[in-house]
Amino acid sequence: MPGKKGASRTGRGDGRGEARLAPAPPGPAAGGPEDEFDVIVIGAGHAGCEAAYAAARLGCSVALCTLSESTVAEMPCNPAVGGTAKGHMVREIDALGGLMGRAIDATGIQFKLLNRSRGPAVRSPRAQADKRRYGRWMRDELRRETGIRWVVGRVGRLLADGGRVRGVELEPAAGAGERVRLGGAAVVVTAGTFLNGLIHVGPERRPAGRAGEPPSRALAESLKSCGFTWGRLKTGTPPRLDRRSIDFSRFEAEWGDHPAVPFSFLTDSVERSPVACHPLHTTPRVHDLVRTHIGESPLYNGQIAGIGPRYCPSLEDKVMRFPDRERHLLVLEPEGLDVDEIYVNGYSMSLPAPVQERLVQALPGLEDAVMLRPGYAVEYDFIQPTELRRSLETRRVRGLFLAGQVNGTSGYEEAAAQGVVAGINAARLVRGETPFVLTREEAYIGVLVDDLTTTGCLEPYRMFTSRAEHRLLLRIDNADLRLTPRGREIGLVDDRRWSRFEARRARFEANRSRLTRTTVTLADGRRSRASQALRRPDTSLGALTQSGQVALQVCAGQEHLDVASVETVFKYSGYLRRQEEAARRARREERRRIPAGLRYDAVPGLSREVVERLSQVQPDTLGQARRVPGVTPAAVAVIGAFVDRAREHGGPK
Amino acid sequence: MLATDDTIVALATPPGSGGIGVVRISGPRARSIAAAMVGAGRPLEPRRASLRRIADAAAGGRPVDRVVATYFPRPRSYTGEDVVELSGHGSPVLLRRIVSIAIGAGARLAQPGEFTLRAFLNGRVDLVQAEAVADLVEAVTPLQARVAFEQLEGGLSALVADLDGTLFDLAARLEASIDFPDEGYHFIDPQAVAAELRDLDGRLRSVLRDARHGRLVRDGCRAVILGAPNVGKSTLFNRLLGMPRAIVTDVAGTTRDLLSETLDVDGIPVTLVDTAGMRDSADPVEAEGVRRARGAAETAGLVVVVLDRSAPIGPDERRLLADTRGTSRLIVVNKIDRPPCWDAADLAAAGVAETTIPVCLLDGDGAPSAVREALARALQRDQSPEDTPVVSNIRHIALLETAAVALDRAAGAAAEGVSEELVLADLQAARSALEELSGRRAPNAVLDRIFERFCIGK
Repeated sequence: MPGKKGASRTGRGDGRGEARLAPAPPGPAAGGPEDEFDVIVIGAGHAGCEAAYAAARLGCSVALCTLSESTVAEMPCNPAVGGTAKGHMVREIDALGGLMGRAIDATGIQFKLLNRSRGPAVRSPRAQADKRRYGRWMRDELRRETGIRWVVGRVGRLLADGGRVRGVELEPAAGAGERVRLGGAAVVVTAGTFLNGLIHVGPERRPAGRAGEPPSRALAESLKSCGFTWGRLKTGTPPRLDRRSIDFSRFEAEWGDHPAVPFSFLTDSVERSPVACHPLHTTPRVHDLVRTHIGESPLYNGQIAGIGPRYCPSLEDKVMRFPDRERHLLVLEPEGLDVDEIYVNGYSMSLPAPVQERLVQALPGLEDAVMLRPGYAVEYDFIQPTELRRSLETRRVRGLFLAGQVNGTSGYEEAAAQGVVAGINAARLVRGETPFVLTREEAYIGVLVDDLTTTGCLEPYRMFTSRAEHRLLLRIDNADLRLTPRGREIGLVDDRRWSRFEARRARFEANRSRLTRTTVTLADGRRSRASQALRRPDTSLGALTQSGQVALQVCAGQEHLDVASVETVFKYSGYLRRQEEAARRARREERRRIPAGLRYDAVPGLSREVVERLSQVQPDTLGQARRVPGVTPAAVAVIGAFVDRAREHGGPK
Repeated sequence: MLATDDTIVALATPPGSGGIGVVRISGPRARSIAAAMVGAGRPLEPRRASLRRIADAAAGGRPVDRVVATYFPRPRSYTGEDVVELSGHGSPVLLRRIVSIAIGAGARLAQPGEFTLRAFLNGRVDLVQAEAVADLVEAVTPLQARVAFEQLEGGLSALVADLDGTLFDLAARLEASIDFPDEGYHFIDPQAVAAELRDLDGRLRSVLRDARHGRLVRDGCRAVILGAPNVGKSTLFNRLLGMPRAIVTDVAGTTRDLLSETLDVDGIPVTLVDTAGMRDSADPVEAEGVRRARGAAETAGLVVVVLDRSAPIGPDERRLLADTRGTSRLIVVNKIDRPPCWDAADLAAAGVAETTIPVCLLDGDGAPSAVREALARALQRDQSPEDTPVVSNIRHIALLETAAVALDRAAGAAAEGVSEELVLADLQAARSALEELSGRRAPNAVLDRIFERFCIGK
């Protein structure tokens, strides 16, 4: 990994253990009782929106703090939602009762199911979003929640005492000297790239969270003063072009699926005027230009210290690190139906603007293209997520939750997933309930939270299907079967979703038992149970229903899901059985809890390194301990024996 | 559970073997305990052997022995802790004395295998190596010791690491195909995957074939001598052992119980069992002996049938030959110095197809060595080539089998062109079996590998 220790600027605030924060206002809050909330959410991006919505839905009074009501659920990078593993998470957010799936179904302008040629476990939806409509839809949906109060302003400080968060203090608006304080039992920080954000375009450096928006410095310092381990990451975005300056007839057009597979389990179908994307490739001339100007790139001249994502390499990295490749794939993507900006996917860079313009015009077909704004790199602070419990609450400050890029992740979907988890757990904390934790064999969201809290981040974290060891069980066709009952249990799934789900689950069960009872005739004349026949590669459920041999219960608008979920169960039964067995084994280790605050230096036989790592991560279970980097299987065995013995003897915790 | 934070001491070389014996002290106080033992003088320097005199403080500082003392500071020592090794003259009495002086200076006597346990806990050896140490300590024959030593040296660990390295690389390319479907990259061809997996599977299976031999080396073989009364079974038994262990008379039915002794046949420990002559007997004691002989034959790895050529083949012999047909057996034809009652054709008629070993057990040295060579040939049928590690531990064999089954499934699936994630499911199962085998966590950084090799992402 390029993210070796020391390569990034990392550090730790000077306040150790007990948070050193401003004391809470004495007695009733300064601004009167209407300024007391159950949950305060800082930021209204993809994490913040989900967190505020979940907390409000669970009955909490919520303050949603945003810098501007016009940048709700903003998409500052590529105008798309989903993709492999990310699409899975959107499904899961939806199955739990979150917003993202419905938002993209309502505002997507091109839908595609990726990995169609592969098995059902890795198929994943992706859609181009109309980014303005997406943000508006999200804002309107949140405005309907009466429990949410919008607070426009910049949070400058967290208020806490006794290791417990008490609220936040806003920075004074320009001119006004008053510092408004909001009281809250839980605070969810979703600051994105705003913590000490610094934008680079060639030699130019501007403090900003996003282009044209000032960063949050005070909040960053307030967080660091709690003593969190923190670091600095970098991400980037490509230049935007003027649609009217591009002759699209010179490119091949790529269209979406028809009919489209929607994201949300509540959506029957998506009817959107289809929009095309246009692929193109870089050329040797482009590569030469990059090499000529490489000294002007802040990525290559030492100006940027933060670590960027390897899965999303800048143009500079593509050319310099892979000199053997003759060309790289790019895609021209529309940012909306009535937006003139075109996003050049794959062309992120931080070279000086004039060089970027030349690089755009060096692409065949874009000789006359007009660059509306240059690409840039942005560096920002993040808190090392090993500081968090699996509820996304920090261990240092009770009631303080972090979600999204502030935890070192990248991607709208990763942020939204954490937002749901943090919002739910903030509400549950306020209500005195136990944390809501999804496990790795239950959901990609479980994988995400477990990876973050167990191993931390060395580069911006993106979800991949390869991160999920129980991948075959975590499918888009069963996200609701896996998670909607969980969402119902905690109160996030409303009656409408629940009754629809119950009907769908009943159809699934009925179809499953019908297929085990129905006998069908195969192409070679042999007869077999449908459930057995489906295991053959040449037999599909679609063909069996079309030939009238099997009649399934399907609901209009949900045929695809009804068929896919039951077909998968039989077609891959051997694989699924083995993976379920592995999941059961994992669950056993996941049930073996490690007492909170276990003194690892009191466990005999652990190396100093292992003691250090485990003390930092404080895993909840033996399973989680095994995943902490550097922890050997022998160490896990020793801890297991130690914990068992301590429990038997009622001895040291 | 043993404490792992105190200082332990024990003899590190097998007692009574060779001219030099090593006493090892390991733990946080190893250096200060050793310093107390060698008395005043220069402090022990790291990794520097120095000649010292051990004095017994309890006996008024009387010198006990001259030793070479070497101090290995943590973590670069056998156990990963501070270690001092004292090499003294091989006398067991003196070495035991040194150990007890160390105990007097504050060390605790180590339990068997405790040094290795600490080495394992500190990540100095992996599970395979740790188990090999245990095998080595208990090795009876030189070949057993060699197998254990090979595992200790990491022969099996190296093989597992090598297999896993290839699997890891395949996994990375397959994963890339799934997670980056629209990169326009051709990461790997399904047929190439199938071929590589088949190749790996073949390597695993050849190790497993050798494992049968490994088990033989470790657990040895039981060879049971059967025959009618008074054909020379006990004589054969004694001559193979090279000592009179069984009572030999010319009275039929002398041996009534089972006698067993261990014999080293080219490195394989063979438990040789002498039995009562097989005949129907009215004597209840002798009948019980015969019953036991049959029982022993049923569980034997090898049966040695002794025939007397100077006596006719009777119903007892016929029954014995019929009962042992199809098992792994050697037929020793004794008393060839006397006038024969039958020949090879008669034997063939009795259903004996294999070559027999003609001997005269009362005569010279040739007889036992002919039988011994035949025994060795029978045991070595699955001899392994020298360059592959020999696996003898049952746990290792079971895990290698699990991995082989998973690889076979993965190779079949890849050849049929099924989707990568299904191939990967079995490939993952194989990798976790290998990981469990070595007790070392395999690197699972497939994403690192992908990003290092391919330019991915938009």
